[in-house]
Amino acid sequence: MVGLVTNIQGYSIHDGPGIRTVVFMKGCGLECGWCSNPECISPHAEIGLVKALCTICGKCAGVCPNDALVYEEGKLPVIDRARCNGCGECVDVCSYRALVLYGKPMTAEEIYDAVERDKMFYEASGGVTVSGGEALLQPQLVCELFEKCRKDGIHTCIETSGCATESALKQVLPLTDYVLYDIKHMNSDKHCEYTGKTNKLILSNARATAASGVATLFRMPLIPGINDNTQNIKETADFLKGLGIAPHVELMPYHRLGKGKYESLDKKYPLPDILQPEPQHLESIVKAFESYGVECTISK
Amino acid sequence: MVVKSNTGEELLEKINKLTLSPRLFQLKDAMFGAPRMISVDRARLVMESWQETEGEDIELRRAKVFKKVLEGVPIAIHDVDVIVGRETEHLIGAPAFVDEIGNSVAGLWDEADKLSRWMEFKNKEDKEILRKCSRYFDGKTAPDYVVETWRDVFNTWPQDISEAKGADPTPDSGYYPGVTCRGLWEKLLSKGVRGLIEEAKAGIKSFGEMQENDVNKLYFWQSAIIVCEAMITYARRYAELARQKAEKESDADRKKELLEIAGICERVPENPAQTFHEALQLMNFIMVGRGLEAMYPLLVGRVDQYLGSYLEKDLQDGRLTLERAAELLGSALILWGMKVVLPVGKTQLETHQFSFCINSINLGGVDRMGKDATNTLSYLVLHLIGLIKISSPTVLLNWHSGTPRSLLLKALETNYKTKGGIPLFENSDHVVSSFINDGTPAGDAREWYGQGCVTPILPTKVDHNGSEGKGAVNVALLFDLTLHRGVSQITGKKVGIDVGDPRDFKSFNDLYEAFKKEYKYVVNRVLWMGTLAQSVEPKYLRFPFNSCIAGPSCMEKGRDILITAADHSYGISDRAIVDAADSFTAIKHLVFDEKKLTMDELLSAIDSNFAGDQGEEIRQMCLAAPKFGNDIEEADLMVKEVGQFSGSVIMAYKNPFDVPCKISREGLSWHYFGGLGVGALPNGRKSKEPLNDGSISPMRGMDKLGPTGVIRSALKAGFKESYASCLNQKFSSTVMQTPESREKLAILTDTFFKNGGQHIQYNMVDTKELLDAKEHPEKHRDLVVRVGGFSAYFVMLSPEIQDDIIYRSEQGC
Repeated sequence: MVGLVTNIQGYSIHDGPGIRTVVFMKGCGLECGWCSNPECISPHAEIGLVKALCTICGKCAGVCPNDALVYEEGKLPVIDRARCNGCGECVDVCSYRALVLYGKPMTAEEIYDAVERDKMFYEASGGVTVSGGEALLQPQLVCELFEKCRKDGIHTCIETSGCATESALKQVLPLTDYVLYDIKHMNSDKHCEYTGKTNKLILSNARATAASGVATLFRMPLIPGINDNTQNIKETADFLKGLGIAPHVELMPYHRLGKGKYESLDKKYPLPDILQPEPQHLESIVKAFESYGVECTISK
Repeated sequence: MVVKSNTGEELLEKINKLTLSPRLFQLKDAMFGAPRMISVDRARLVMESWQETEGEDIELRRAKVFKKVLEGVPIAIHDVDVIVGRETEHLIGAPAFVDEIGNSVAGLWDEADKLSRWMEFKNKEDKEILRKCSRYFDGKTAPDYVVETWRDVFNTWPQDISEAKGADPTPDSGYYPGVTCRGLWEKLLSKGVRGLIEEAKAGIKSFGEMQENDVNKLYFWQSAIIVCEAMITYARRYAELARQKAEKESDADRKKELLEIAGICERVPENPAQTFHEALQLMNFIMVGRGLEAMYPLLVGRVDQYLGSYLEKDLQDGRLTLERAAELLGSALILWGMKVVLPVGKTQLETHQFSFCINSINLGGVDRMGKDATNTLSYLVLHLIGLIKISSPTVLLNWHSGTPRSLLLKALETNYKTKGGIPLFENSDHVVSSFINDGTPAGDAREWYGQGCVTPILPTKVDHNGSEGKGAVNVALLFDLTLHRGVSQITGKKVGIDVGDPRDFKSFNDLYEAFKKEYKYVVNRVLWMGTLAQSVEPKYLRFPFNSCIAGPSCMEKGRDILITAADHSYGISDRAIVDAADSFTAIKHLVFDEKKLTMDELLSAIDSNFAGDQGEEIRQMCLAAPKFGNDIEEADLMVKEVGQFSGSVIMAYKNPFDVPCKISREGLSWHYFGGLGVGALPNGRKSKEPLNDGSISPMRGMDKLGPTGVIRSALKAGFKESYASCLNQKFSSTVMQTPESREKLAILTDTFFKNGGQHIQYNMVDTKELLDAKEHPEKHRDLVVRVGGFSAYFVMLSPEIQDDIIYRSEQGC
């Protein structure tokens, strides 16, 4: 089983208990305006151009078998997104690594090899976290990977939006030690407006996850002006309290670090006017959750 | 398993709540703001004494110099002082060592303008006095005679290899004779200087009873009495001054304090220290005394071990509050950290290496029985360093498998508060087993402490190393010489031997064998230079005071520390191994295995410093070759191989006392200086660019897997033959700023050490580096931004987001 991986990042310290290696899978069912990993949305391989690293040397001219890369002397290369199939030929010739391939085909075995190398660091606390994109869109691969990890005593974790079939969820959960589960908006219309999908499936999968008994931390990307209003906070709190587990939410403050990656993909940054939340604002949200009886922490 | 601390939680809580007291703030502020003065009083007194004692025995002459200086040098007690005593009357000042550092210093005054950027003279007359004194000693000091001997033996070679940055320190960069070690603090605190005088008297008595023939012993003990009495006199001068100041003082609290200081200066260092305050004052006096005899500082060492019980007892008896203890200890730390010295030689003048003289404090570790030795003082020192935020003294956290997690976390908190690098972490389990493998009894081995930075030494052994003119060898340069028939690319002089034209090498093995020949030739000469220096120095120089207070067997044997047989000896530090190894790997790949380039193409490219389009293309191929630090077996094992080979050459060399040399791979900030002598390398580094920092850190910008990948590589390369090595890691501040993130860094540290790591140091990426990364992204590809659920390198962020991160770094958040 082969899947597409955009990055495997060691010593990740904000993505589950302990020291983790995060596997970023390609492909996501949502397209959230605040997404910081836009290279993980499409399920197909893509080419990014990091403009700051390009020296306009021209070596990439003419190498594309699909004529998707256009190079005009003295100008940055332009990628015709409609023609590009992400084959990576241009990436191979770029000496300066300005062209990057988002989406490397990897087998569960290969991913496992990369994860297992850091095993000594997981022994005190830590393990693998499959993120993305959406981990549950490639359930077979994740299961193969997790089976190997479990056999080797490596703690397993998924970071999910919950936007996947219930059967995918039920396939992966029995092999998962820890779930990081995003709840974005309780209002289904708003959810659809900002992510492209309603929250129906997400909420039902959240209930199923909570009921499964697998340790789960619900997280909420906090996007000023979009999901931080009093009503949404209250409804989120009510939802969490109804799950039958100790209600706890971790806030993921909005940040704009992903902007450069949008640029490398020639994509428009969807939320140019929203700034990251101020610390005082975050504190007030924490207080609000706590007043509803929900433990609230901030991801640091 | 997480180890718990012995110090009560309640006390730790109190320590964590301590804030910077106004007094400490004022002291630090005054010392940072004060002009750094060049003091000529010592030089003048030394010259006078030297003229008075012409023809006498060298040991006694040096003792009389010490007496004259301690009796005559101007002293001061400043309003901010609670621990008193400095080498000069100024808040910050450096005495001039015209008598010990050779003609390099005479030349230096001709360039006094350069010096004046950092230091100043009190007046024009002082400048003239110093010129006169240094002319008087010009050509007559121990280093002068060493250099002369080197010239007789090696001709111009020492100068040539020095100019090629092949060895450091050497005549041009200036070197300083002596032995860097800690004081015999346990003995000094428990017996006082009076105890040393009694020992010397006993020596003289037994000399008569035993009808001994070696008159040098008699001279040594006579000298010991002179210097110890001088030390007591010096302390009494402060007592008297404190009383005078108390009389005039209008503030009642300060008046009381000055009288207390006077009382303490009357008791110590003559007598054993009874209280925490007395113990700190005793240590400071001894350090100042040593600072007036020899230029580099007497090391503090494992301060929590000598002073922990004083602190705990005073707190228990209610004699001292925690706040007052912090004020006393903080004052001492500032004094010891902010000792300045004058440059030794032009290199130091140019590289500004001299400003603060590195002292070293060690915390934690194990006791002689192998049990964890952490105590209240360990935490208090860390907390104070975090509050005071001074970069010197170096703080070394002596890690072992039983180090309490709370101490490790406290150390990481200090690391974050000081913006990185302090403390450094060193693996005691590795050091102790290295010493035991060399035949040291386990109890002695456990008492090791770091000399300067990471090099471990034992209080029971005299260790001639480092500053003996045989400090380091530049392995990257030796690689460079191998490719160029022994000729330096920078100076054009032949400093190595001709090992053949690389274009004729048929295999990688041919190249490697050529390197081995080059290496042995240069390294054996540098080692020989060092041992020659050791035999020349004591004819012209002695350190009677230092022998009494720091030489483990000097008093007993009646011998000066400079002539005491070194029973443990680090040869030279073989620096820039990683640069050489990565270059080997690149050549192996590009020329011999994949044959992407001919040797001629590669050599032409590096000889042109990768000029032109083609040069740049070859450089990119070089950069793309496997690099150490990415868990690539081939690259990591190359580092291991070069390290083992280099080690075997050094360890085959014996010091003048027939003890085989040992290895310690420190790094200091030498990578910049060493790089100036090395031409372009096949690892893609351009000519004269800095080499890798540390001794086992990957090439800058070339580790792509983050800290766990670097650690895996470092463990594979091993460096087991070395007592210590340096792995520097750089992070953005998010990796340390919260208790949760430090908890994870503690796991990383524990894991590294439990698997055999030797040293690690965490630095935070500063604003300057972020700005540079924005400007030159190609040099900073490895800079990762770590935020939950996000994956990107700094260079991939859009410019305004980079600006935002830079702004936040400036604001310290």
